[in-house]
Amino acid sequence: MLITGIKSRPVYDRLAPMASGLRHLAIAQGSGGQPMLRLLADMTPAQRGVATVVYSSESFTGNSYEAELRAVDGIDLRLCASNVEALQVLDDLLSTAKMGTRLYLAGSEGFIGTAMQRATEYGLDRDEILREHAGSFVRRVWCAHCNAYTENVTQRIFRCPGCGLDLVVRDHYSSRLAAFQGVKADGEVPGELPEIEELDT
Amino acid sequence: MTPTAEPTAFTTDETYTPEGAYTFRNSREGVRRLPFPFPDDEYMYSMNLEPHVPAGDGAMRAAFDIDEHYISECHHRAQMLEAMPGVHYLALPHMMEAQWDLLELIFESYARDYPEHFTLTKTGNEWHWQNRLLGIDDTFTFGDPTTLPLEPMEYATRQAQGEFVVLEERDNDLVIGAGMTTQRADYSLRFNLGMRFFEFHGPVPKLHEMGILDRALKFLLRMKPGHPVRRVNWSLTVNPRLETSVETLPEWAPDRATVDAENAGERVYLRIELQPLHRLPRSNAIVFPVRTYLVSLAELVEHAPDWAKRIHRALASLDPELVDYKGFHRYHAAAVAWLAQHDDGAPLATGYPWAEGGIQPGD
Ligand code: HEM
Repeated sequence: MLITGIKSRPVYDRLAPMASGLRHLAIAQGSGGQPMLRLLADMTPAQRGVATVVYSSESFTGNSYEAELRAVDGIDLRLCASNVEALQVLDDLLSTAKMGTRLYLAGSEGFIGTAMQRATEYGLDRDEILREHAGSFVRRVWCAHCNAYTENVTQRIFRCPGCGLDLVVRDHYSSRLAAFQGVKADGEVPGELPEIEELDT
Repeated sequence: MTPTAEPTAFTTDETYTPEGAYTFRNSREGVRRLPFPFPDDEYMYSMNLEPHVPAGDGAMRAAFDIDEHYISECHHRAQMLEAMPGVHYLALPHMMEAQWDLLELIFESYARDYPEHFTLTKTGNEWHWQNRLLGIDDTFTFGDPTTLPLEPMEYATRQAQGEFVVLEERDNDLVIGAGMTTQRADYSLRFNLGMRFFEFHGPVPKLHEMGILDRALKFLLRMKPGHPVRRVNWSLTVNPRLETSVETLPEWAPDRATVDAENAGERVYLRIELQPLHRLPRSNAIVFPVRTYLVSLAELVEHAPDWAKRIHRALASLDPELVDYKGFHRYHAAAVAWLAQHDDGAPLATGYPWAEGGIQPGD
């Protein structure tokens, strides 16, 4: 079974204002604040005038760009204490979004993936969305055996809190589940584990 | 359709699970009709797509092949669905039209190719379906899901051999929208649902680099209803176990460590996949059926000695990346050593057995 080098991993963009947009919806988390600030600086004042920025200060690395975002003039800023709350705000905004809305996502892979799930539910096309990864490559992992999801996984092998099995995290990614696949690491011979390594690829 | 010499004798009580003690067996005729997937002594991935037209009197004779295992396989499917609901059968809500397309394709094909077992009578949208092998006699209104006990795809594929993945066409890509996959080889339907062609092929080595994926997708997007195409694929597995999904890997992967050069003939099974793809007429979806055949190395030696020689050579020279991907690096050497005793090195015909001049099972 292939563990690394799988081509289903998402490929990310660099955030830049989309000229075709009539409204700009930007949502970021943790270290994603940095590309968000760059995006806002690259916007014309007119674009900033029709931009809504949602920012969650929940962060795995502890980086927060809340103060810097507050200092940007002329934007509609919504601050949230958690990623769950920020995604709820996104949901509300998408439910009333009009044609011509452009979406910008920045943050961890798990955060971007979950936000993408929402955007897909509301029928946004891929060419209406830009995604920029920021911060650590912590992963959200789905356990193939017990169906549990684990956030912020940093090691190639980890113990699933759902079923207690040692899972190996494959580079295989499902956008529908917004998660990487975790599979029993010592499936063939109990105790024979692949090498434990930091996930940072 | 050419008539078969002998009517098929169905084995009704064989099993594909350790709980059922793996009583699955092939008859001699069952082995010699297999879609043997090794045209040459060396094997590598290729663009092995060809028109799905009837060929020979084995597995390529009908649109959807059924064999002596039909009844036991349908029972196995029912057991697997009951044991793990929501894992082996899934359909996204917008796939309903494709579900009816698929029901029609399976039932029409079965009724045409096996009139002795299946009858489909249409009076407008009122359809009468008779499946004498499973003792089913139902009437329903085509297009009205309330007239069936199950969703149309589940209803039809519970009565069909092999698995079925249905893909919708979206922005020049194919996206998995539904699947009945109780016989998956080492992947997850829940995980793969909603994935695109390049994404669900992500784990396969070499395909991308060889340019096969690009060409295959372009080819599939040009498919038209009524012009199916097919390919064959294969792997090895331990025991005649049909259900080898990622989900249940902890149950079956330990079997891989039980094979040695003495028991490889009995333990190791060639798993052949016949994949006939169809474009569906109303929904424009594409169905990817995987008809899986299991045959032990010992059964090959006994009933198809030339095929046993061929698989010996193909395995011995197989690219290590494919050995790893297909999951048998642990018993590859044992299987090759066991097969070596049954290969005298005589030259063998090239080409698939259903093609003119292709390799035959041997005597
Ligand atoms: C549209 C229908 C198709 C579907 C749904 C499909 C699905 C899959 C899946 C789920 C896998 C297993 C990947 C994993 O390890 O997770 C696979 C493997 C593979 N597919 Fe496809 N496939 C399709 C069409 C094709 C076509 C047209 C070709 C080539 C012409 C192809 C070539 C392969 C090969 C070579 C493998 C590796 C098989 C092995 O070594 O055992 N597939 N496919």
